[in-house]
Amino acid sequence: MLSQLRKKFAGSGSHFLAFLLCALIIPSAAVVFVAVAGMLSQERAMEAAVSSYVQDLAESMSYHLSSDSDVWTFSMLSDFTRFPFFSWGPSIPGWVALIGQDGKVIIASPGSMHIITSIWRNDLPIGRAVRVEDKQAAQYTLAVYPVKRPSGGYVVAAVSWTQLLGGLVGVVRIWPLLIVAIALLSFFSIRLLWSRVVTPLRSLSSDIDSMTLGKDVPENLPEGTIQEIESVHNALRRYAQAAVERDNLRNRYVRDVVQAQEQERMDMAREIHDGALQDVTALLQQIHMIADDENKTTRLKRSEIIAKTVVRELRAFCDELAPPWMDLGVNEAITELAERLSQAYDIIIMTDYDEDTDTAEIENDKILSLLRIIQEAVSNAVRHGHASEVDIQLTRENDTLTLEVSDNGKGFESGHINHETLRVEGHRGLASMTERMSLMGGTLKISSKPEEGTKITASFNIGA
Amino acid sequence: MAVRILLADDHPLTRSGIAEFVRREETFELVAEAEDGAEAWEKIKELRPDVALLDIRMPGYDGVAVAQKVKNEGMNTAIVMLTSYDAQQYVIASLRAGARGFVLKTVSPKELTTAINTVAKGGLYLDPEVASVMGEQDFIPEQLSVREREVLLLAAKGLSSKEVAKQLFISERTVQTHLASIYDKLGSRNKTEALLLALKYGVVTLEELLEDD
Repeated sequence: MLSQLRKKFAGSGSHFLAFLLCALIIPSAAVVFVAVAGMLSQERAMEAAVSSYVQDLAESMSYHLSSDSDVWTFSMLSDFTRFPFFSWGPSIPGWVALIGQDGKVIIASPGSMHIITSIWRNDLPIGRAVRVEDKQAAQYTLAVYPVKRPSGGYVVAAVSWTQLLGGLVGVVRIWPLLIVAIALLSFFSIRLLWSRVVTPLRSLSSDIDSMTLGKDVPENLPEGTIQEIESVHNALRRYAQAAVERDNLRNRYVRDVVQAQEQERMDMAREIHDGALQDVTALLQQIHMIADDENKTTRLKRSEIIAKTVVRELRAFCDELAPPWMDLGVNEAITELAERLSQAYDIIIMTDYDEDTDTAEIENDKILSLLRIIQEAVSNAVRHGHASEVDIQLTRENDTLTLEVSDNGKGFESGHINHETLRVEGHRGLASMTERMSLMGGTLKISSKPEEGTKITASFNIGA
Repeated sequence: MAVRILLADDHPLTRSGIAEFVRREETFELVAEAEDGAEAWEKIKELRPDVALLDIRMPGYDGVAVAQKVKNEGMNTAIVMLTSYDAQQYVIASLRAGARGFVLKTVSPKELTTAINTVAKGGLYLDPEVASVMGEQDFIPEQLSVREREVLLLAAKGLSSKEVAKQLFISERTVQTHLASIYDKLGSRNKTEALLLALKYGVVTLEELLEDD
């Protein structure tokens, strides 16, 4: 039974909450119910006790006065004074008075005149106790009994509740306050639980349900949510925000890649159009003219020169697209590129390799990545850093190949560089190099300081 | 006696064009054609031509690998690399593999004839277009010092400055200084050019370069 319940509540969060609410409502309702019942029955019990007390008092007094008729005739005063009750006040709580037929007070215990007149009502029944209140809302019980003797009259007995029952009366007064306080407290704590825990939890769970990671960030929670839920919510918010940022970054990257691709295609088209295509057109013109030209040798010579130019242009173009000399191995490929770059930019480029770099089997795409990094680094060193010397080093430690390209250029503050800042600052080349290296499972580090040149370190595992 | 020639190229149009050049020349005899590295190697073993014109890039194993095999077997066949790639590293790789000629496919028949005749006689022929500096005929290089020659040869064999320094018991800095001086004397801009020019001017010989390689 218990395990079933447990299973049921463990199954879902909202069931557990309902359970929690019940756990709070049921005991407090029970407390209120028992308290009300207790208060009512105590009140009844107290009333019954006080009534029977007063009735006994009045009845016994009237009985004594009725039976002792000869004493009564002898001397009324001496007769009454035989009861210590009337002469020096009651030794038990309460007041007693004897009232004649004509309504005059014949005799009364000390203090009773004042009390009885203050609570006297004309419609009092005879032979039965009645509960009355004085002007200060103090509780009294009063009983009137007839005296069976020739002169007639009534015995009036009264008792104050506080006098007879003492502290119990105070307790009865406090009962309702306690009950109201408990009820209010329970109500407010349930309300708080509802507004600060249940509602936020529900909104949190519906947020999580409806959220598409990478698109939405959860809404703000209702005011006054408890700290624990708030912090879960904040964690979720941070997580969602990170996902959105990552998504944006990826979108931006894809857009960049597509743009770069399109740009590259346009560049290629222009290069072929302005170069080889123009040359081949010129070649065709020369060939057309050969047919009806007596100076065939000159035309042929010219055609040959044009054709050679086309070949040279196309070759340079292919080298640019994908250097075929990668096949020769990593050292040779780097040397070839370094020498070409050194001529193109008219700077000194030193290359140095560890003994065992050339023996390593490195895939062409990895070599190509290294070549692109060198191209980018040298181009940046010259264009931005105005470097006149670049040092390229390739070292190998176990299976880790490390390329270091350092220059003597101006340098810059490289303290806080990552893909994103590179991209934002327009260093697309370096940014994509960094991404390229991380795709290969390697790393690319850029360290630079103003006036100290720039060093780019790329390393990756050749075993991987 | 005619020079016996083998031609290997995987591109049929280029192969037939060059074959036609060779056939037209009376002093040449085209003994075989091959369309990949393996076929070329088989035919060289079988026919022992005087000169083999090898394309660098071929399916299976490439021209450099065939040249290496010829060199390893100690055959007399002289190798001329025939290529559309102008990378100087290809020249170096070919020379290390024992080739004596390096010619771009765009050469004129006259140049090709010269190349074949030069290597057939045991000489070295490098296409002027490969290293543009090779064309400056009237340049007279300064004499290299003994140490500089050593440095150049070791560097040419593919050793890094660090390794050259270790082998010659000098500092790396000194190696760099020697290299700078070598470039200056030969009028080259880098190691590869320095080596090619040194070969051209006879400062070092191909045999020296191939020693204990």
